[in-house]
Amino acid sequence: MIQFAVYGKGGIGKSTTVSNISAALADAGLKVMQIGCDPKADSTSSLLGGRRAVTVIDLIQDRGRDSIELEDMVNIGYGGVVCVEAGGPTPGLGCAGRAITAALELLHDKGAYEKLAPDVIIYDVLGDVVCGGFSVPMRKGYAGTVFIVTSGENMSIHAAANIAVAVENFKNRGYARLGGIILNRRNVKNEQEKVLELANDVSTVLVGTLDRSEVVQDAEELGKTVIEAFPKSDMAEQYRGLMRSVMKACESEVD
Amino acid sequence: MLKRLGEKPDLTQTTVSVGEASYPAPFETGLEYAAPARGVWNIVHTGMLVPESHEIFICAAGCLRGVVLTAAEMGAAERFSTVAIRENNVLDGDMEELMIEGVTDILNKLQRTPRAVLVYTSCIHHFMSCDVTRCYAELRRRFPNVDFTDCYMDPIMRKSGLTPDQTMRSRLYSLLKPAPVDGMSVNIIGSDLQTYPDCELVQMVQQSGRTLREITACKSYDEYQLMATSYLNIAMYPAAKAGCEALCERLAHRCLYLPFIPDYDDIDRELELLAAALETNPPDASALRALADESLFKARAIVGDAPVAIDYTALSHPMELARLLINHGFNVTDLFLDSISTADRDAFLWLKRNYPSLRLHPTIHPEMRVYPRDERNTLAIGQKAAYFCGTCRFVNIVEDGGLHGYMGIIRLAELITDAFENPKDAKIEIQPKGLGCAGGCCL
Repeated sequence: MIQFAVYGKGGIGKSTTVSNISAALADAGLKVMQIGCDPKADSTSSLLGGRRAVTVIDLIQDRGRDSIELEDMVNIGYGGVVCVEAGGPTPGLGCAGRAITAALELLHDKGAYEKLAPDVIIYDVLGDVVCGGFSVPMRKGYAGTVFIVTSGENMSIHAAANIAVAVENFKNRGYARLGGIILNRRNVKNEQEKVLELANDVSTVLVGTLDRSEVVQDAEELGKTVIEAFPKSDMAEQYRGLMRSVMKACESEVD
Repeated sequence: MLKRLGEKPDLTQTTVSVGEASYPAPFETGLEYAAPARGVWNIVHTGMLVPESHEIFICAAGCLRGVVLTAAEMGAAERFSTVAIRENNVLDGDMEELMIEGVTDILNKLQRTPRAVLVYTSCIHHFMSCDVTRCYAELRRRFPNVDFTDCYMDPIMRKSGLTPDQTMRSRLYSLLKPAPVDGMSVNIIGSDLQTYPDCELVQMVQQSGRTLREITACKSYDEYQLMATSYLNIAMYPAAKAGCEALCERLAHRCLYLPFIPDYDDIDRELELLAAALETNPPDASALRALADESLFKARAIVGDAPVAIDYTALSHPMELARLLINHGFNVTDLFLDSISTADRDAFLWLKRNYPSLRLHPTIHPEMRVYPRDERNTLAIGQKAAYFCGTCRFVNIVEDGGLHGYMGIIRLAELITDAFENPKDAKIEIQPKGLGCAGGCCL
């Protein structure tokens, strides 16, 4: 079983990227589980026909941990992708990091990984590693490899650098290693050079590049991934290429 | 449910007749009151049952007060240490380093290295998503000759999953290392108090040629580790059942749950289960029933028509006990409990049908702080019943008191007689925490 996490600044396109990777992996015949670790809880909506899944935190709040079954927490999306949304607290109240921890603990307690036996688990994690909860997906027993999505925009690069520093700081703990950076183009000036400089600064590689394309927004309007909505498009091929690069980076870690 | 000071207390919430009581929760829950009857063991007492161990609590200083006082009161301060968490640890994100370095510092300063360390983390570790797994890995690397286990002082876990009591009893056996099973020994799991040696359960195990092991009787860590060689684990106390099952699953032992239910048919059923597990025969039930009847009627003759009150901290199945005593002529009038267990449901329905006026009282409802406590002629079974009745005639036991089977009932009848004939000073007897711990086998 391969587990990797995708981090990056909010709004940079993590969920779109991750969902397309999940769909591409499913098309390749693998059983995939995608876990959204973002209070917005929209990581998996394009795999679910635009529908928002009930979050684990909502279930915990409504019914209590003891009466929740594994089946309640998962939704089956495109290509059989097992979709989970951790969810989060009311904006401005509560603790989003704690919500991630609680959701992942509950999945573990309910035997999700053993019972569902996915080939690949992808954690889609919000923004900076701002507290302990956001580092849980990169801990031992969870993701083995972390990828960071960024554009060439300064704020995005700043967030990516912070995440890379956190991964480096956790290296001695046996946590996930940094697998590389994914450039999601916003077509800013010198974008490729800036992101390559970042990769160089944090001693990693550019594992893939995605063009800015209206096809992505068109698919989103349809409540689908590009892989599902426009499988023959150039963007779909870019996502498949990224999927292969990411898996190669993860497999080298497994080896 | 806060009320203006000076208002007359509303005692209507403190009593409901069994005929009108709902199952399983006869009273509203909310703000909780704790009566000063403290004999039930807490996580500090129970953890101390691991011989040659040391407890380390890691939490904010304000939360440490209770556990520090417990350790001091039971005379176990030298087996107890604390690490205080401060705000800067939360802000600096060094909670995990504090845990590792704090425990390391304590162990380096102890004159004698303990064989095992029970580390109690707290709510704040939970809230902060601390990677305690990593901390234990590092501590095990630094102290390869010390066994560490994770324990919890985490009230936020109370309303879901296992209760703190169940969790503590489970963690108590987490230190047992897998060992070849010998088939010649049997464990009692999760009871804080040593099982009454005359009871049929103990006798049957011994007569089958096997050794009975209980953590309460273990004098050394090596002796404790021998519990891993037993083929059969028996849980008798309800809060011990989950831990016993987890242990059996981990070590591939057989598991039996044989609680002390003061009902003859239940006792027979349990003794048959035990006999099958021991591949022996159960004792002669009719003779034992006759002995139990005789003891109860003898006690009844002494107690007479005095009102009898029972609380759930004395015996886990207070409604079954009420039915048994009523059937032997006792004038049972009051039960103190906050909920009715599944195992007590049958007795509850029986009491509802046959003795609907029997009074039920909560023990944690806030209005119980002003409960009149003027039923001084009552014979109480249990500390809370004694406190709320204000009586000095009481059976001073907690957590089933090590009783089991017919001999448990016979022993209880003796205790009832003694309690009635020899009044005690309740204030002195019920205030110390952890009845049976200080000076007992856990030290």
